[in-house]
Amino acid sequence: MIFPLAFLLLNVVPTATSAENGEEWSPPGRKDGGAEEYGPFFEDEPVSDTQWTSQSRRSKYPVLSVGEGTFCFVEGSHCKASLLISGEVAAGLRVPASNKGPDIPYAHWGVRGGLTVRPIMFNRRAWHPWGVGVVGCWTRGTGSVTIESTGDAQEQASTDRTDAWRVALLNQLWLSRKPHALHLDFAIGVVRSQVLTSGTSFSGSHAEIGFGWGGWGAVYGGADFLDRDTRVVFGFRAHGVAAAPVVVAALLGLALGGAL
Amino acid sequence: MIVLGSLLATGWLVAMAPATDATTEAVAPEITAVPDASPEPASPEPASPEPVVADAGPEPVVADAIPEPVVAPPSEVATVAPVETETEAETELADTGQSKLHRAVERSGPPYYDEADQAELRERHGIKETQDTPREPVRWRCLIADPTCGTSFEVNALSAYGRRFQQGNVSTGEVRRWHTGRAQYDLWVNIPVFSETRRRTKFTRMTLGPKGGLVFSDTGDFWGNFGIAARYWLGRGRFAPSIEFSSALAFKLGGRPTNGLLGGEPKFVSQRGPVGFVADVGVGIGGFGAIVVSGQYDSPLAREDVPEQFRVAAGGMFYVGFRGNILWGAPAAAAIATHGITQRTVERPR
Repeated sequence: MIFPLAFLLLNVVPTATSAENGEEWSPPGRKDGGAEEYGPFFEDEPVSDTQWTSQSRRSKYPVLSVGEGTFCFVEGSHCKASLLISGEVAAGLRVPASNKGPDIPYAHWGVRGGLTVRPIMFNRRAWHPWGVGVVGCWTRGTGSVTIESTGDAQEQASTDRTDAWRVALLNQLWLSRKPHALHLDFAIGVVRSQVLTSGTSFSGSHAEIGFGWGGWGAVYGGADFLDRDTRVVFGFRAHGVAAAPVVVAALLGLALGGAL
Repeated sequence: MIVLGSLLATGWLVAMAPATDATTEAVAPEITAVPDASPEPASPEPASPEPVVADAGPEPVVADAIPEPVVAPPSEVATVAPVETETEAETELADTGQSKLHRAVERSGPPYYDEADQAELRERHGIKETQDTPREPVRWRCLIADPTCGTSFEVNALSAYGRRFQQGNVSTGEVRRWHTGRAQYDLWVNIPVFSETRRRTKFTRMTLGPKGGLVFSDTGDFWGNFGIAARYWLGRGRFAPSIEFSSALAFKLGGRPTNGLLGGEPKFVSQRGPVGFVADVGVGIGGFGAIVVSGQYDSPLAREDVPEQFRVAAGGMFYVGFRGNILWGAPAAAAIATHGITQRTVERPR
């Protein structure tokens, strides 16, 4: 019993020369002597001897950022705060309650905006993987179909479209320190939308997980859980800087075709 | 017991580490200065009678003393190194407080080679010298894809002639076919998955990444799509040819219920579209544009539990067109024109 204890003591007791010099040992930390910064430490990307000659960034700071990356109009791995604005398309399934009719395809397009911050990067660390924010989203989706049987009779109803508003709390996890790093986005919030063919809007819950490449593009899977009306979609999201020209071109095409 | 003994010995050694370090520190300043050979080729001429500088050899030098070149006797030089060599054993001092460390600065020569050595090697083996100067950066900061770019993003516009088809009456095998146009706008995320290195310059060989966007055709039909896009570069120049592949899920979002622009109300309706797919292959020039051949399939919604009026027949489109980056204008203009002309001129069989 004494031997293991002796072994532990001999191995655990710090052997730094500072102890011999009479200085009190302390873990590496802040300059003021505090030990709050004691690991884990995230190392920089290793320096590479090779590189692409063309860079998308004009300086070492993130693209479309101000204040040396304090605020970015396009999300980046080194942004302390970022604006979210994007367009999206998605497709999936609409699952009504069993007595309201069959599952039918569902698709939507829409816009999304919000704000994210990386709290720990403001005053403690140069980089940290966690981000948090608030997002709002509006989508216009395909209509619903209900088929209800009452005795021998069957009632059918449908709507032309389904609009939905969503507000959610966003949690991000950046997976690397590269400028356009992959990040995981988890959003949980509320949705307000027309339920089936009732013509009335109700509130429900909304959940989403997304995989983004910087702030430019993302794929995501999401679900709206409303009373007797569940929608599950899988979609793609493009930043407003890229989506805006597409919308303008589409509107110009519609106008040229006389559809507007 | 053996294990216990080993552990005890390990712990004792760790505990004694500072004393060992201190001992080592007292001895450590001794370093060996090994001068390098001269990069100049050996001369066949006889040795000069004058004393020349020779290799210092692996003779230990006391740390606090700056190593000086050793002058060898002429006879020794003539037998060992009949060439004039230059000792390059420069040292740098770094004051660490208690002792001074000396660091030798290496010069060209084995095992360190410079351009002259490489030129000699090329001449010996008959290898031509490649003028592989790095390309200057692209103008649009990789918003137009280029082999010199790493991760990049681009917005592409497609304008195409298409042949659409849709299933008609199943009992008679009817298939409706008509000529149409197609305009498509996509965001591509290009992630380099395969690159090659020329000296210190990286060139992208292949990119692969997600893409998504909108598709427009006649009678107000439009689809969303998202999937994967790939581009394989066949060169490294600004106008290098490339092969593009993309595939995506495509889903109908809406359309006009009638052919006429001012037909009945509503003018535009959302349409429940089962998820189909689209795939294309193209041959491109730089990141500027590509000729694309492609096809799209729209899945049917024809389950028995869906009432007749809500069912959707299977359909699709084959098309050939031009896809390019919107930044240089022509692809966007062509897509907008195609979109408009298609709306005005194409009549879909109903």
